[in-house]
Amino acid sequence: MSAAATTPVPARPKKRRGRRNLTLTIGLVVTIAFIAMAAVSFFYLPHNPNVPRIPDRLLPAGSPRYLLGTDALGRDIFSQLMVGARTSLMVGAGGALIALVIGTIAGLSAAAFGRIADETISRSADIMLSIPGMVTALVLAATIGSGTLTTILALSAFFTPSFTRVIRSAALSVLQEDFITAARLYARPTWFILLRHVLPNVAGVMIVQFTLYFAAGILTEAGLSYLGVGVTRPSISWGMMLNEAQQQVGISSPLAMWPGLSIVIVVLGLNLLGDGLRDVLDPKLARRTS
Amino acid sequence: MSVPNAIEVVDLVVGVDELSAVRGVSFAVPARGRMGLVGESGSGKSMTAMALMGLLPPGWQARGRVLHDGVDLLTLSDKALSSRRGRTISMVFQDPMSSLNPVRRVGDQIADVIHRHMGVTRRAAHAQAIDLMTQMNLPRPEQLARAFPHQISGGQKQRIMIAMALACYPQLIIADEPTTALDVTVQKQVLRLLNAATRERNSALLMITHDLPVIAAMCDTVAVMYAGRIVEHGPVQKVFRTPRHHYTRGLLDSQPTMDNIALDGSSRLHSIPGMVPPLHALPSGCAFHPRCPAATDRCRTSMPEIDATGAACWHPVPVAAPAEAAS
Amino acid sequence: MSPVPPVLAMEQVTQAYSHPRTALFRAPGTFTVLDCIDFHVHAGEAVGLVGESGAGKTTLTRILTGMEKPQSGRVLFEGADIWQAGPAERARFRRSVQMVLQNPRSSLDPRMKIGTALLEPMRSLRIDGNHLDRLTEVLGQVGLDTSALERFPHEFSGGQLQRIAIARALMPNPRVLVADEPVSALDVSIQAQVLNLLKDLVRDLGLSLVFIAHDLSVVAYTTHRASVIAGGRIVETGPPVELFTRPKAPQTQNLVSAVLTVNSGLSGNAL
Repeated sequence: MSAAATTPVPARPKKRRGRRNLTLTIGLVVTIAFIAMAAVSFFYLPHNPNVPRIPDRLLPAGSPRYLLGTDALGRDIFSQLMVGARTSLMVGAGGALIALVIGTIAGLSAAAFGRIADETISRSADIMLSIPGMVTALVLAATIGSGTLTTILALSAFFTPSFTRVIRSAALSVLQEDFITAARLYARPTWFILLRHVLPNVAGVMIVQFTLYFAAGILTEAGLSYLGVGVTRPSISWGMMLNEAQQQVGISSPLAMWPGLSIVIVVLGLNLLGDGLRDVLDPKLARRTS
Repeated sequence: MSVPNAIEVVDLVVGVDELSAVRGVSFAVPARGRMGLVGESGSGKSMTAMALMGLLPPGWQARGRVLHDGVDLLTLSDKALSSRRGRTISMVFQDPMSSLNPVRRVGDQIADVIHRHMGVTRRAAHAQAIDLMTQMNLPRPEQLARAFPHQISGGQKQRIMIAMALACYPQLIIADEPTTALDVTVQKQVLRLLNAATRERNSALLMITHDLPVIAAMCDTVAVMYAGRIVEHGPVQKVFRTPRHHYTRGLLDSQPTMDNIALDGSSRLHSIPGMVPPLHALPSGCAFHPRCPAATDRCRTSMPEIDATGAACWHPVPVAAPAEAAS
Repeated sequence: MSPVPPVLAMEQVTQAYSHPRTALFRAPGTFTVLDCIDFHVHAGEAVGLVGESGAGKTTLTRILTGMEKPQSGRVLFEGADIWQAGPAERARFRRSVQMVLQNPRSSLDPRMKIGTALLEPMRSLRIDGNHLDRLTEVLGQVGLDTSALERFPHEFSGGQLQRIAIARALMPNPRVLVADEPVSALDVSIQAQVLNLLKDLVRDLGLSLVFIAHDLSVVAYTTHRASVIAGGRIVETGPPVELFTRPKAPQTQNLVSAVLTVNSGLSGNAL
């Protein structure tokens, strides 16, 4: 036999990854900054974000002691943003995480356990998708009261069906591969094939979807709070800050700018992170370039 | 007067970033000529085809000249290029399923091409489409024209693709592995059809494939590609009967044929040792030298060009010893 | 006659699938994929199975390897019906009949190192012991070395991956290798390497080989005896060269006349 067949293909130079890595880096930096901001808020806040200080009301950004100024009641904007980040993080990550877990289990089951399981799960997902999420969240908030937990539950109910669908189709394409046939030939049970072969191969999809739904969760939460059915004080949300600032538009417009800007940057950062991760993690892309 | 060329490729280089899949390829297909471009995966043959059609994947760049109908295709805008695609130059792909629009009836898809490029009314285009389908030996064309791509067989789809490619009497048809996805018995029918239809319409044919027998059956000249370069070029009869490049000879020898097989199954197939090098780790000098039985130090250090022998090789196969496959 | 039963055999195997139900109260229609198939391979013998896509090759492979139970008929391993066998017998069957699949890129998990993938049959078939020596031995048999163990599939070329897939099949020391179109996804120059490797393995290890392909000439290089399958039935059996030069069944004639060769192309009578 040929000796040359022994040598593996040399690793491909890494240079091509440059542009993808930039997207990933920006996304990663923004996301880490966001999480750090939320984490620090538990230990340190420049001011109590809920205590009004009427003499200091409506100070502009850059005032001494108030980095981004104060609102109509003299509460520090930056401190409010920090506590708001906490809410966004919890609601966004919480909603996406619950959807991730349930969606993955449901999606894998639909793909692997035969036609009846597939029909049941897929049609249930269709039915859930046909109910508008925002309306559900509003009804939930009106009936069982608004708050962080309600929002998380509403979001996860809203995200799970789409998650299920994505995981199902990714799993279906993995299940068609020949290494699954090989595993079946060795009499591996289905649950084992799912855990050992399918899950690692859809992990990339899962992570990317998670970041995208994380971002979507933050947006939805802001929307709900803006409508007044999200969190209530003493909790603070960027959406709630937008709502409050709305009354000051014209008097002090930057008030609405800070929470708005925070939402835009964090959502953009998470989306960039998702895009960057997709390029790095997609096994098909890796296979095609090799 | 020399015959004008259907296409002339001069020093084509196709690459992405610092990698080149095609490294200086030149050839010409004369009007009504039939040329084969043969190579294994990774030889750059498909990237050459994509560059000719302006269909390179994002990020890929082509340099050099591609002269067709008096213009350099590489300098044309996307718009100018797409008005030519399907009219003066058209393509038949390997996978007919992904080249047809799944939600449009096949008859309408052929008619679309005719309507767009020939300036006839929709009605006339449709009549011509049916006519074309009849010429492609498709059964009950009126009925079949109303079918969607998923309702017809692979061989029928490839005939539809050929009909679309031929609809506007193009000067050149590029066929990229047109029968690889088809069953062996269907392959022959489709090749026969492509052969007859291009001759009737005086279209030149550029056949791109890894399959030497297909080239032998369809083409007048052949260019053998290896690692992004043409290593041997000439008339099919000459190249396949008396290959001068060791790679060509190796390919011919590794064809499984029934001609020289032992009855007890003891025959061994000749094989070329090693493997096609990846783009980012091309050997120095002649890229084939690590697999070549005749390689010397010269082959390791300097790259040969195609010379009078028709092969790019420092130590061409002697003519006196023809390849087994041609004996 | 020799009383030794074939190592692997099918007797009168018929398999039919049902169409998806179109109406609630109408029984779904069925179509027969395999129709009374008899097929066998003796120890140390290489047998070919040739047919077009849709002829029933895939189903036959699945039944032969015990992945699918036939509707009627028997699958015999060393003379005993595998669907009647006890757990110990079935485990021995699983160990002894191994498969090589068509597309080497798809038949290895891209997230699994080669070393892990090669041990997978041993783990799932619960074969105990230290397998390091076996790994080295098997890799040597397919012409690779142990540096492959720590690498991932995407680091190898198609031909190398097919060698690895063959190595995986060899790991549990099988008696029969079932190869389903093992070279059709490979380049011509690599095809020859893999075909020769399979031949060497049959000769050196005394393996039985069932070689499934659509190309009669490829089968002729690797097997002593071949069957042509068409429309779910075996229409003709004989030495490949015989089938090629004097085909009797019309389906065999079809297959033979479809084969293109360089020589017929050069002489201008290929099409």
